[in-house]
Amino acid sequence: MMPADKTVKAANIIETEGVGKEFNGVWVLKDIDFSLRPGEIHSLVGENGAGKSTFIKILSGVYQPSSGSIKIDGSPITFHNVRHSESFGIRTVHQEINLVPFFNVYENIFIGTEQKKNILGIGVLDDRQMKRKAKEVIERLGVRLDVNKPAHLLNASMQRIVEISKVLVHSPRVIIFDEPTTSLGEEERKRLLEIIKGLKKTGIGIIYISHNLEEVMEISDRITVFRDGCRIDTMDRSEAAPEKIVSMMIGHKSYNEYKREECYKCSEVFIDVKNLSTDKLKGINFSVHKGEILGIAGVVGAGKTEIAKAIFGLDKIQKGEIQLYGGRYQPSCQRAIENGIALVPEERQAQGLIPNYSVMKNITLTYLNKWCSRGVMDSDREIETAREYIDLMSIKTTGYAQLVKFLSGGNQQKVILSRWLNGDFKIGLFDEPTKGIDVKAKEDIYGLMDQLAREGKAIIVLSSYLPELLSISDRIIVVHEGELVGEFDPKEDNAKEKIMHAMLGGRVA
Amino acid sequence: MIGKKLNVGSVDKKEFLRKYGTVMGALIIFTVFSLTARNFFTSTNLLMLLRQMSMLTIISLGFTFVMGAGGFDMSIGNATGLINIIFAIVILNTNSFWIALLAALLVGVTIGVLNGTLVAYIGLPDFIGTFAVGSIIYGVKMLITKGNPIFFNDTVPKIFFFIGQGYVGPIPFPVILMAFFVGLAIFILNKTSLGRRVYAIGGNSIASLYAGINVKRYRLITFIVSGLSVAIASVILTSRLGSAQPLAGEEFLLDAISVVFLSTTMFGDGEPTGSGTFVGALIISMMNNGLTMLNVPYYFQYITKGTVVIFAVVLSVVLGQKLRVKL
Repeated sequence: MMPADKTVKAANIIETEGVGKEFNGVWVLKDIDFSLRPGEIHSLVGENGAGKSTFIKILSGVYQPSSGSIKIDGSPITFHNVRHSESFGIRTVHQEINLVPFFNVYENIFIGTEQKKNILGIGVLDDRQMKRKAKEVIERLGVRLDVNKPAHLLNASMQRIVEISKVLVHSPRVIIFDEPTTSLGEEERKRLLEIIKGLKKTGIGIIYISHNLEEVMEISDRITVFRDGCRIDTMDRSEAAPEKIVSMMIGHKSYNEYKREECYKCSEVFIDVKNLSTDKLKGINFSVHKGEILGIAGVVGAGKTEIAKAIFGLDKIQKGEIQLYGGRYQPSCQRAIENGIALVPEERQAQGLIPNYSVMKNITLTYLNKWCSRGVMDSDREIETAREYIDLMSIKTTGYAQLVKFLSGGNQQKVILSRWLNGDFKIGLFDEPTKGIDVKAKEDIYGLMDQLAREGKAIIVLSSYLPELLSISDRIIVVHEGELVGEFDPKEDNAKEKIMHAMLGGRVA
Repeated sequence: MIGKKLNVGSVDKKEFLRKYGTVMGALIIFTVFSLTARNFFTSTNLLMLLRQMSMLTIISLGFTFVMGAGGFDMSIGNATGLINIIFAIVILNTNSFWIALLAALLVGVTIGVLNGTLVAYIGLPDFIGTFAVGSIIYGVKMLITKGNPIFFNDTVPKIFFFIGQGYVGPIPFPVILMAFFVGLAIFILNKTSLGRRVYAIGGNSIASLYAGINVKRYRLITFIVSGLSVAIASVILTSRLGSAQPLAGEEFLLDAISVVFLSTTMFGDGEPTGSGTFVGALIISMMNNGLTMLNVPYYFQYITKGTVVIFAVVLSVVLGQKLRVKL
């Protein structure tokens, strides 16, 4: 066994040669050569469906490769299952948070690997030891966190820390991070990146997957680009540039950060929110005009989503009112839709999709009555509509009858957008519309929002990803802890810094 | 390479089982009883079997709506008896079959509204809410009858007896009713916006809410459909028995649960379907009928039915489907 010592950088922990994977005759991964050294951050980038996840699943023992070989410390190995891979010190921090809400921090960290002590021949939970070890691990991360706090009281970034600690107690040699900064606000994102850099310094080999190129450029030692199941290139950070990576990822055209050219704002006010207060919101005031794109910025948990939910009638309004097109409006989901409000929710899986429904059934769900007369569905017209939108939105699918759960994230998002587009809404609420989707789909969605504004709709984009808001919005308002703390023109000088400052509640970042 | 081929083969086999396992189960049970029970495979018995199963099928069709939307209805067993009694009292007092039928349907709707309000609008868990309603119904029917059956006299309109005992040609009338309602349920569940929304709610109720479906109202509707189907089956049952028994139909609860779970295992979608429910009802009824013919004591029938429920649920989990109901 090679010691995980910084001085032997040249020795690879993991080395793969020609690794591929086929499902039912389709090769989703082809010929991947890859290596990871101790104390290195090796990022994998690529659009959704490029093969990153499949490759990671092979390394972590979920899938067995259909071709090629994996070497650990130079000796060939086939992982039979996840346990087997873990026994070689390979651990994964998954994209989703999987904590038991009412278990406290240390119980979550040791879930499934509880430490026991022997009292009269009976194994009893050794809480003291678990607490001590949990504290040690969390201290290693340089975080202050009470191990006795229940997980549901933690914010998203602290929950992520617990997930990382769960992995760290097993003293791993390799940690795979799958989109760890998803759903984190800007400040938390930065802190997490620092933590990951810290882990690298202790000699752990890190495989990092992210859609956020800024992050990848900041953190990586090497970057491997995947496209269509193939490895396109592996480069050192010094030779990589975002434009270069993106052009490798998408293969064809070069990428420019999306920029809108015109503003289509009209004088007519579509929605006017006055002194809106709910459980989570305190006296929110704003209005959106026809043809305007309003960005609502805020860190995770600041109250962005709650604004959308209040408008869409999902959260009860305690004080204040919402006016639509100059008239009164008492929010409920049905009235919202009747009044031309569309909501693309933040959680695509939980709030957006009916997973076992086909692409078509998901597209037609909201305005179902359009395709039926006296309650009976008109299948021909429904299929026609589904085909039209699959075409219009370039949804990658085997057909309108394919179950939506088998689509990639970006295509699923397009299905949800299609659902609203076929109903001629007037006010669009887009909550984190590009979360976890690939570059190409992101650009499509930005383009779509621009087009919708040009057609005279009012668009409200809620996002914790500032560069996105800066490029798409006509105007940005910032919420912090349920209150509106500022309004900005994205084109003003130092807009990014000012908005960031406001998002963090005026505290210095 | 050989390993891979075997693997592909087993995937196909699994896929086939997933889709048609339940239908094959029905065929196997049919064959076994045909070979072992002497009078099973005769036209008289098969028609009788169909007539017997008509009530269970109709009740299970209503349950299919409830479970299609991810719900559960524990009140159906007790509801049957209450509707029997109300129907009998009304028909004895008015001498009008149609008024009595209307009263039965009204009671069914009321029970559905009660269940739906508690579960969908007030937010009680399905099991607790509908179980409590079932308990109240039990109390009410005992209060009305003191546990005694109600018998009919000769003045009762003839059409009443036709519902449960009549024939159209060689076909018992309840079988025709069953065929009609099976067709109707398949049509509503597959071809109407109601069915589409019901399954959407069962598939993901939160996403359905965000898509603008009035989830509460549609869940209420499924309970009303269940109440109505219990009412229709109760009228057939009363007519068949020629008397109203407060405890009649209690076995429908366990049987209908079995049927609908079998239904979810059909076609491998994890959703109960109209046709799946028909096959499920056929399986349960064949077992009731066949085991009786083989002189298996009735208590063994409970054991077999319980086993079938477990088998159906395990099968649907093993075959990788998500359980629709959180048990």
